[in-house]
This record gives sequence, C-alpha cells and structure tokens, in this order.
Amino acid sequence: MIELRDVRFEYSQGGFSLRVPELRIADGTKAAAIGPSGSGKTTLLNLISGIERPETGQVETAGVRVDTLSPAARRSFRITNIGFVFQDFLLLEYLDVLQNILYPYRLHHDLLLDAKVRDRAQRLAAELGIDQLLKRRPDELSQGERQRVAIARALVTAPKLLLADEPTGNLDPATKQHALDLLFAQCEALSMTLLMVTHDHGLLERFEEVVDVSAFEGRQP
Amino acid sequence: MKDSAYLAWRYLRHHRTKTLLLVLSLSVFLGLPLVMRGMSAIIQESLMARAENTPLLLGKKGSSLDLVVETLYFQPKGIEALTAADASEIDKTGLARAIPMRTGLMARQFPVVGTSLDYLSFRGLETAQGRTLATLGDCVLGAEAAATLGLKPGDSILTSPSTLFDLAGVYPLRLHVVGTLEPSYGPDDRAVFVDVKTAWVAEGLGHGHQNLATATADVLFKSQDGTAIANAKLVQYNEITDENADSFHFHGDPSSYPVSSIIVVPRDDKAGVLGRGRFVDDAARQLLRPAQVVEGLNEQIFRFERVLQIIVWTVGLATALMFVLVMVLSWRLRADELRTMTRLGCSRWKAVQIMTAEVFLMVGTSVALAAFFGFVIAYYGETWLQNLVLQGS
Repeated sequence: MIELRDVRFEYSQGGFSLRVPELRIADGTKAAAIGPSGSGKTTLLNLISGIERPETGQVETAGVRVDTLSPAARRSFRITNIGFVFQDFLLLEYLDVLQNILYPYRLHHDLLLDAKVRDRAQRLAAELGIDQLLKRRPDELSQGERQRVAIARALVTAPKLLLADEPTGNLDPATKQHALDLLFAQCEALSMTLLMVTHDHGLLERFEEVVDVSAFEGRQP
Repeated sequence: MKDSAYLAWRYLRHHRTKTLLLVLSLSVFLGLPLVMRGMSAIIQESLMARAENTPLLLGKKGSSLDLVVETLYFQPKGIEALTAADASEIDKTGLARAIPMRTGLMARQFPVVGTSLDYLSFRGLETAQGRTLATLGDCVLGAEAAATLGLKPGDSILTSPSTLFDLAGVYPLRLHVVGTLEPSYGPDDRAVFVDVKTAWVAEGLGHGHQNLATATADVLFKSQDGTAIANAKLVQYNEITDENADSFHFHGDPSSYPVSSIIVVPRDDKAGVLGRGRFVDDAARQLLRPAQVVEGLNEQIFRFERVLQIIVWTVGLATALMFVLVMVLSWRLRADELRTMTRLGCSRWKAVQIMTAEVFLMVGTSVALAAFFGFVIAYYGETWLQNLVLQGS
C-alpha cells in the first residue's frame, strides 16, 4: 500500500513545491503517474521512496511510515523494499551485465550477496531475455537490452514496490510495448506494486490506476 | 569493505590507462627518494669498503681522486705514470710491500690490469677455474668479465687498440685465458688481470718478432755495423706462444717502464707512518690513504644527493597534487553514478569507502611497484651507478 496524506514538500533551495492532499495505491496495483513536465512526478516518487522527506504530512510505503524514519533507516528501507528503474537506466559502464544486476547487493550491508541471489539474478536475466549478455558491458548493448538490465537490477532484491521513472521514454513503440509486457509480467509474478511515470498516454489503458500529478498542487515559483 | 574494494577494483580495471598512468606517476614519486637514498648508501659503503682495504697508494702528483678512481676502480682517468723503479724503491725500504698497477688498457670493454701475483692474494681473489698467472701472455678474468664474455680457461681475448686508425700504432695482443676468479662483488669482477710485463707488451714496450738471423733475405732492409735492420715484411707476433715466447724482449731499461700507480702495503702501522713521512716533501709523487680520498668523494655524493632529494620532493609534491586533481575530477565526472548509488539506498559513507578503496588500491600498487623496482635497481644497478659516479667524478 502507498498512502500519502496532507503532504507538503518544498525543495530546500526553493524553486518547486508540491502538495498532495491524499493518494492511495493498493498493494499489487499497476499504476501510472502522468502530468506535464515540472508537475512533480519525480518528486512524488522521491517522497514515496524516502529519497525526499516531506515538511508536513504522512507518507506510508509498504506499511512503513517513511517520513518518520532517519536518513539511514530510509536508505535501508529503500534498498530492501523498493526497486528503481530510471529513465536513462544509469547502468555502470565498468561492470558487466550480471554485476550491474547484482549492484544493489554491493551497496548495502543489509543485502547479502550469496549463491541464491546469483541464481535469482540469472533466472531474472533469462526471463528478461538477456541471459546471453551477462558478460557484456552496457556500452555493448542496445537501448532495449539496457532497459531490461535496468529492470533486472530493480527486481533482483525482490522488492515490494517498483518505481519506474519514464523507463520507456527513450524506446521505439515496439520495444516500449515489449518492455511494459516484461514489467507487468514480473510485477504479477512477484505480486509487486508498480508506479510508473510516463508521458505516453497511449500506454495508460494498460494500467489499473492512473495518478494525474497535475491535479496536485505542484508549483514552480 | 569487500564490496567497496570489488567495485573500486572493477572501476580501476575498466579505466586501465588512467589507472596505469596514475600508478606509474605515484610509483616514481614514492620510489625515487627511496631508491636514491638506498643506492647512495650502498655506493658510499662499497666505495669506502674497497678504499679502506687499500692502505696506501703511491702515484704521480696530481688529482688524488683520479689516482684512486683509476687504481681502485679501474676507471681510466689518464693519470701520469710512475716507473717500475718506484716500486723497487718501496720494496728496498723494507717498510712495505709494493704492488705495481698498470691500468688504462682495455679488452672488449673490460679493463686490462697489469699487476703482480701479489695483487690477487692481497685482494683475496680466489681462482674459480684454471690456474693463476704464470707466463707472459697469460690472463685471468674477473667473474663478471668471464661470464659476460663467455670465456673460460683455454680461450683467448684480444686487447683493444688504443688508436684504431693509427697504422703505426701497437697491434692488439692476444691474451690466453688461463683462469677465472670467484666473484668478489667489486671492480675486480670486471677486470682482465695480466702480469705487468704482459701489459707492457700489450702497450708495445716489449715485442716479439721473426728472428732476423734466420729470416729470409727479403725481410732485411740493411745491415750496418753488425746491426740488422728489417723492413716491413718482418713478421711481428701478436700472440705469445711456446714457440715464439723466446723472441719477446724489451728494449731499454725495464726500471724506467711505466706503472700507473703502486699499492703500498706497509709491514705495520708504524711502517705506514714512516712511509708516508718519506713522501711528504716529494715534489713529483704523492702517497695517500685512499679512504681519506673516498671520504671526500662520499661527501660530494651526499651533498649532491641532498640537492637531488629537494628536487625530487618538489616534483613529488606536484605529482601528488596532480593525483588529487585527477581523482577529484574523476569523481565529478561520476556524479551520475553517485546519484544512482544514493537513490538506490547507498549511504554516503559507503560511497566514500568505495572512493577510498580506489585510492588505497592505487597507492598500494604504487608502493609495491616502487619497492620492487627499488629492489631491482639496488640489486642490479649498483655496479652501473658506481661506474657512473666514478666516471663523472
């Protein structure tokens, strides 16, 4: 469950503020967040994941009040409960595909990298059709392949929530649909909640819920 | 920490050119002062050890340093020669033993040292193969000379002509290798030892040729007052063999023949002091203690080393600043990576750990490389650097 109530957030250096009176997304829901550029879609994801902390209001993600956690606890919560897929994928050029997928396990002591995890990474790669590419580096992959690696990295920790920030923005229409198929299939298989930011209204009908961020009080100075 | 080290290692391996350049720069920065200090200490010690083992040295007045360097380390300095009579003079005093040294000749880049058998026992040089010097034309090779030239008893080696294009000059003499010496880890290892008389033959002061009495008429230029004068057809020997050994002879007074210097081994301390007293007012000759001269040379090396250390540390500081600059710029270029880490849930401390691991890996490798090359240079470069110091002295 994602639940935001009376949330008010403003960047410390000023510039942008967001008010979310109420937002609820049930567990296992595949939701899309839409809105024009600068309306606060990424900020919303940051609040839900605990990257940003609201000035007032409550943010509950996967049953945890993330707004009350310390920075260290929020980081620990994030890496163990949330998977991220970024628009530009942000894969590390110096790691091969398998190591990119396992990357979260290198970053936090709460995650233990053992044989079981490696098996899961390889299984995920096989399901996403990139198991033949495990020894390649990101610069040797196509955009579609890079995106699938980013999805595998987001899923390898078996998170409760998957946050995707315009992951199909740079893809051609065919690849876009295929990527969405993969995301949905994985979410269903792992009973995950999905919240995906998108500008592509053609994809919206595939989502169970659509959050229009422009309806919140996002404000540029 | 293991994961941080792993990520750091993968990053450095991926950017191997940058890493290699940084590691090499750091190695030079770290290694140079160490190598310089180590080498300087080793050289000073080895120079001093040899000098201290040579009680007194007699030579012509002039540069005492040149005299010591040419006699003890066989680096040609063109010192003025004494005569064989000077050696006899020392012997006659009964205060000391004289070991004549004739240097300046070369054989295939190795110094030919004309001396007496006393020299080998004085330096404690043991025969490894074959025998010691016995007849005219024999030579004994130092361990390094023998190994480098690949020569053993039974082989031969030609002396190098001093003036290549002088047709009237002295022909090279073929020396018979009769023995090789055990390594002594000093200049003796690079020397080709011959008897001082053989050195004179190699210099052209003694020679052997076809017997004029039995030679055919066409070698005779003219006969005057019972003296036969040969023409250019007369066969000159460039090798001393059993068959022609009798034909080798010296013209003039052998006591006037040159010796570069004389190692003087006093009977005891008192004899040494007395001996030195005899030469205090000598206008043409000097009797010196090599250790005193080498001490002066070592002081110069030490002063030079200190200047060099200041330069090296200055360059080192610039290298360190460059290293810091490259690392800071590199981390700035990796802003996306750092943002990804933070967004995924990585702590700042972990990010710092990864960066620190990169620095440690590079510095660690540099230290290991510096130590390795320091060891290699110290081990193999001692002779080379010693020669460099002595040639430049």
